[in-house]
Amino acid sequence: MVSPALKLEPELEVVPIAAPFKWRTEIALRDVSVAYPAGREGVKTVLSGINLEIAAGEFVAVLGETGCGKSTMLRLILGQEFPTGGAIAVDGKPVKRIDARCGYVPQKYSLFPDRTVLGNVTYGPENMKSGLLGRLRPSFRQYRKELRAEATAYLQRMGLRAQDLNKYPHQLSGGMQQRVAIAQALLMKPPVLLMDEAFSALDPSTRSSLQEQLHAIWQESRPTIVFVTHNTQEALLLGTRLVLLGRYQEEHAQKNNVLLDMDISTSRLPFSRRAHSNEFHELHEYVKQIAYKSSSMNREEDAAQPLTLEGNLR
Amino acid sequence: MKSKFQPGDLVGIQVRPSRLWTQSLSWVLFVAGIALYAHLSYLRHRQNPYERVAPSVHQIYEAITTAATEPAEEDMPLDPGATVWQHIRYSMLWKDTVASSRRFLIAMALLIPCIFLGLHMAIFPYFGAVFQRFVLFFDKIVALSLLPILFIVFGIEEWSKIMLMVIGVGPTLVLDTFNIARSVPREQIVKAFTLKSSNLDVTYRIVLKQVLPQIINSVRLNLKPLALFLFAGEMIASTDGLAYRIALMRRHMGMDVILPYLLWVAFLLFILDALLRFTNRRLHPWFHPLSS
Repeated sequence: MVSPALKLEPELEVVPIAAPFKWRTEIALRDVSVAYPAGREGVKTVLSGINLEIAAGEFVAVLGETGCGKSTMLRLILGQEFPTGGAIAVDGKPVKRIDARCGYVPQKYSLFPDRTVLGNVTYGPENMKSGLLGRLRPSFRQYRKELRAEATAYLQRMGLRAQDLNKYPHQLSGGMQQRVAIAQALLMKPPVLLMDEAFSALDPSTRSSLQEQLHAIWQESRPTIVFVTHNTQEALLLGTRLVLLGRYQEEHAQKNNVLLDMDISTSRLPFSRRAHSNEFHELHEYVKQIAYKSSSMNREEDAAQPLTLEGNLR
Repeated sequence: MKSKFQPGDLVGIQVRPSRLWTQSLSWVLFVAGIALYAHLSYLRHRQNPYERVAPSVHQIYEAITTAATEPAEEDMPLDPGATVWQHIRYSMLWKDTVASSRRFLIAMALLIPCIFLGLHMAIFPYFGAVFQRFVLFFDKIVALSLLPILFIVFGIEEWSKIMLMVIGVGPTLVLDTFNIARSVPREQIVKAFTLKSSNLDVTYRIVLKQVLPQIINSVRLNLKPLALFLFAGEMIASTDGLAYRIALMRRHMGMDVILPYLLWVAFLLFILDALLRFTNRRLHPWFHPLSS
């Protein structure tokens, strides 16, 4: 259903990860609905019958205005929340609880404040290797040494200096913290990486640098990434597929669903030049118009106007 | 730019007093209190040289020396050849301090399960469902009103006093721990599960480790209520202990003993508080920059 992954000209220099691995998974949402009881208003519908399939190796940017249900969708995939209707599967298995199938990078509180940078990054792989008692085995010490070396290399590649590795999260800038959070999630080699507005609290230059780095990582090992953002430019720049969530009117009922699901992997321009191309600007304008139309429809004065969209609309 | 001190600055919000000023001002009330007491004591002693309500420095010194080197009235006197260490070891102050400290420390040890109860209530939903309402209700019961029941159940010996402290402070500590553990961002717990943590990992390696400094601070804040319940128990039914001695001395108008004992109790609590603060800072170097 989705086009093959983006093939870019190798302009960014990418250092390979110590232990390459194969990403393999897909995410499937079938007729997923979420509704909450909302006092006098009756029921508040957050998502209404979403169908979405994400193939292995896709970089899906989920876009939408505040309250359209994009973070809820992410929490459903993660297993943090459960749908009131429909079913979700990750890696071919239904999602019943939060587990290591999905890596997670939230906007904030992504690092454990009581652990150093290195401690944060190695926490997950150490859990993978052995339980609480397994840490007492002599072989664990050797494993830990190797893991720390791998984590150090990974973190340095993410732009952290050797002296940063023993710092606590509060001693790092916001950008550095998110770099560590990404490394923390990726070192677990999860089939799926879920990022919830991961860069939205950062300043523009840090954000741009992290976008470039994330793209390089994705290009190198092709994890399946679901990247929730409210920034259209960021969504178009990073994603190979764009999913726009929003509200629309159907038979006197307001619904939150996928307004637009399009393949945006057609651009063959290198990442660093992509944002300046005409193709990108046209796409940007197009998505902005649809998003605006969707949001204006929700305002009272425009409620009567029907939403008409051109393009690959679901 | 530093400006000259103006009297109006005392009520100014935007003033920035120098360190020397703030340090000096912090001692003003101590000095004023001592001066006022000395004056009062002087006036009373001028009327009656054997006055005991506001003892002089000399009387206080005498009482401290006696309390710290001589056995209590109810104990056997020491041999004339006893060493200095024996004088201290069998003194009234030592005996009372050991008795009160033992009760205090046993109660503190018995309060540790309260921390685990609060932690589990915050993390495990079913655990919280069972205990939360009950602990909230129990917290509203005035602990001192339970004292007669405690005397009936545990007798008038040690355990009634220890249980009074545990029952008085326990529910507060449970609820404090519960609230502190609940304040750990949900993202942290979700993240931990995505990093292949088990339930025990999340409870003890993620949440407990993060909230431990705040729990220690909560224990620090509860030291005074703990001492309060200890004093209540000792004053009502005891044969030794710091509060017992204060209550006994009240009958004899022995302010020369009561005042040093009060200061000694405050000093012990101050030392315990400082010890916990120091431990907290050493064990959790990552916490203090956050809290400040």
